[in-house]
Amino acid sequence: MQTFQPQTTSRLDDIKHLRDIFNAQNSKELKVAFDALNPSFTISEEDLEVQFNRYFVGPMETVADPFASVYLDNPDVFMSKSTLHVRDLYETMGFSYSLKNVIPEDHLGVELDAYYQLLFLEEAKEITYLSDLRHYFLHEHLALWIPRFLERGLAQSEKDAPAITFILQQLKSLLIRETTTTRSS
Amino acid sequence: MSYSKEKVESILNNGISRRSFLKGLAASGVLSSLPGGILQANEDLNTKIPYLGQKNYQTFRNACPRNCYDTCSIKTYVKDGVMQFIEGATESTYTRGGCCVKGNSYVKRVYSARRLKFPMMQVGGKGSGNWKRVSWDYAMETIAKKLLEMKKEDGTLLGAALTKYSGNFGITHYGVEGMFNSIGYTTRLAGTPCWPAGIDAQNLDMGDMWCNDPEEMKDSKFIILWGVNPASNSVHSMKYIYEAKSKGAKVVVIDPVFTEAASKASQYIQIKTGTDGLLALGMAKIIIDANLHDQKWLDANSKGYKEYKAYLDKEIKLDNVSKITGIPLAMIKELALSFVKAKPATIWMGYGMQRHTNGGSMIRAIDALVAVSGNIGKYAGGARYGHLSTWGFNYAALSQTKPEGSVGYTGPEGAKGEFAQVGGEKAAYTDRFLNINKTARELLNAKEPKVRLLWVACKNVFSQDFDRNQLIRAFQQLDLVVVADQFFNETVKWADIVLPVATQFEEYDVNVSYWHYWLSLNEQAIKPLFEVKSDVEIAALLSKHMNKLEAGSCTFPQSVDTKAMTIKEFNPGIYEQFGIKSWEELKNGSVKAKAVIPYADGKFKTPSGKFEFYSDKALELFGSALPTYLEVRKPYDKFRMTSPHSRWSLHSQFQNLEWMEDMHPEPYVYINPDDAEAKMVKEGDTVAVFNKQGLLRVKAKVTDNVQAGTVLMYEQWYNNNIYNVNELVDDTSSDMGAFKTGAPGVALHDTFVNFRKL
Repeated sequence: MQTFQPQTTSRLDDIKHLRDIFNAQNSKELKVAFDALNPSFTISEEDLEVQFNRYFVGPMETVADPFASVYLDNPDVFMSKSTLHVRDLYETMGFSYSLKNVIPEDHLGVELDAYYQLLFLEEAKEITYLSDLRHYFLHEHLALWIPRFLERGLAQSEKDAPAITFILQQLKSLLIRETTTTRSS
Repeated sequence: MSYSKEKVESILNNGISRRSFLKGLAASGVLSSLPGGILQANEDLNTKIPYLGQKNYQTFRNACPRNCYDTCSIKTYVKDGVMQFIEGATESTYTRGGCCVKGNSYVKRVYSARRLKFPMMQVGGKGSGNWKRVSWDYAMETIAKKLLEMKKEDGTLLGAALTKYSGNFGITHYGVEGMFNSIGYTTRLAGTPCWPAGIDAQNLDMGDMWCNDPEEMKDSKFIILWGVNPASNSVHSMKYIYEAKSKGAKVVVIDPVFTEAASKASQYIQIKTGTDGLLALGMAKIIIDANLHDQKWLDANSKGYKEYKAYLDKEIKLDNVSKITGIPLAMIKELALSFVKAKPATIWMGYGMQRHTNGGSMIRAIDALVAVSGNIGKYAGGARYGHLSTWGFNYAALSQTKPEGSVGYTGPEGAKGEFAQVGGEKAAYTDRFLNINKTARELLNAKEPKVRLLWVACKNVFSQDFDRNQLIRAFQQLDLVVVADQFFNETVKWADIVLPVATQFEEYDVNVSYWHYWLSLNEQAIKPLFEVKSDVEIAALLSKHMNKLEAGSCTFPQSVDTKAMTIKEFNPGIYEQFGIKSWEELKNGSVKAKAVIPYADGKFKTPSGKFEFYSDKALELFGSALPTYLEVRKPYDKFRMTSPHSRWSLHSQFQNLEWMEDMHPEPYVYINPDDAEAKMVKEGDTVAVFNKQGLLRVKAKVTDNVQAGTVLMYEQWYNNNIYNVNELVDDTSSDMGAFKTGAPGVALHDTFVNFRKL
């Protein structure tokens, strides 16, 4: 089994790469985002996508659906209460979403994008106007479902998919780091 | 962390707080600083005010397109683009505000996490489970290239086969056949696994399959539910049966299985499987011998009554009828005489009874019984089986011309299926038809050219067809298998390309029933989720890619919207039949066809124009002009196995939903207590059920709902379960079906098995 170490990159970059992994629409995009997260991990573009799809996309029943509502509301359904709650949050954060009612707002890739953009305002632009919303989003939403998602994914990936384990471990590290970081203001 | 949950929730939930927060957001310049990703800055901040309790739903008209008698008219409630709930439309007196257990789960179905979301290719070979996402363009270009390559190499497109059946009976979904029509002469898996024997029988007797409005049953004085279980599988029909019963009508269920409908009836008669035809002949004989038959109607409207009576006189011995059917003679006499004395009286024949090697002959015998009793052509009477009399659409999506110079099949022509048969002059070529009920062996055996590409739509082949092992071989030998579906199932497992298909809530369409007389519009209520497309949009995309590679190679329109395609299906005949001026009136609710009593004018579409006891066509095709008794298939194993529908699913559809899994999570074999005792099987034991076809391991339920000598196992597939009852069913044909649907039906209930405790 390939060994790897979590990378030490910037807080914002990590979120961005993870976001891009979960929002990738093809194997090339997926591999670019994965390599950005860990350039030393050897896996072919096709193998990475096949594994990623088995875990998170389908068409077969996935190992861990990347939708918050599946963990917070009902294990079989999306576009439910949690999805609509996140929709409200995004609108209050000032986001518009061109894939509204096409890809649910509580998809992990979309949520990581929201979190990335909010953190970017604080870290890169030093604007703290939305920090309460970011913390609320983190503690009252992301931190409620991502651990369950990680648990489900890791329970399987540690047996058969090191690349997926790496992605999930990075996400886990990120979540721990974010939830234990003192707010900047 | 020192954030304030209460403060944020106050902003989220309070319109005034939220407005002032958003004003501040705009004023602070935050939006121009966002880096941008999948979420963009909402520059106009025209944000909706949070839901504060008003029932501000948008409503849409929909219709259930599943293969079910009821074809429910649905009203869909949508808020902010999200389906919230559905209810049966109140405008349809048939649906009357309610849906069945399956229909009520539609929101869960549409938003199921198990939906297929993107076009994908299986890169590790069929069955490998290694899937790669592809764009629609890539998927369609791959398919288009393959089709054009086959055409070039074979000189025809007969190597491209389509298998499509009843997963979606929406009219525009005949665009799938239209797509295949538009590329040239191709191969079609023709026929129907469902009801062909009965269709042939009714066409031989009456020249059509045409039944009275089920709503009339409320005024029937005597109703026989013969091999049908509406309490499970046509729940909306039950209210008319209950109403008739409450007004004094007698309701009798004749079935080998004590069904839910039987539990609601005035009387239940447990008949030995496959002997229903003999019972009908015996009842007719009793009626005629008692001189209670309708001689006047028979003289005016029938052909061959004399020969039929002579047959009854000579061949039908009532003692034998009792012995073979297992019903006491006194009970048969009482049933026959009370049935004929009640006017009007009706018989509803289900699709279970005709799934035998003598199924068509049994339907003919029951048609004859209803005719003898004088109930054909009468309000609240009739020999009910089904009808297609409200299906007179344009079939615009279906009716595509072949590309110039198309070369096709020159062998014997077959019929094209029970729906949407289109006429026209005989062409030099035809499509090639293979028997849908023998899919595996037909795909394997087709030669010159061999089948190389298979397109599967509206159908789960591995759940519905027979001989799974041979099916795997057949799929593996194909160059390209394309499956268009909404969920992952075993057919998708063996595909090369899977295309995600829209639900009826994500497209426009129009629906009618093969049972009731209502017409419903299906409006697009929500945006298509992820990258799903409707069947006609897929056809248009294929056309675009084929024409890009070779101009003129596909005649299907290269872009469509489902609303425009739906509007094209209407015509003045439909408007006249349903008493509307425009399809737009359907936005106010479904409408019902003007009342017509089938055959009330005594005109039948048979060669003689009369009800034919004696049918020359039947003699030519099936060797018997009269509705005679044909013995059921001889057992080839110890127990007969019957495999009806359950109320929780339509074959594999709906069974994968959590609500259904909660109620009906696993398969069972239902065994009579006598048989269970003989085999030392107790309730809950795991047993092996096996025969020459295969073996299934299932838990036992011991119940006298099934008679001794018979076991019952519901058809369908269960999520995450390898069970499929069809693994025990061979593809033996029923006696009829090839006349009108291109291929005989399958004698599903003439399956024999043995079992033992594991």
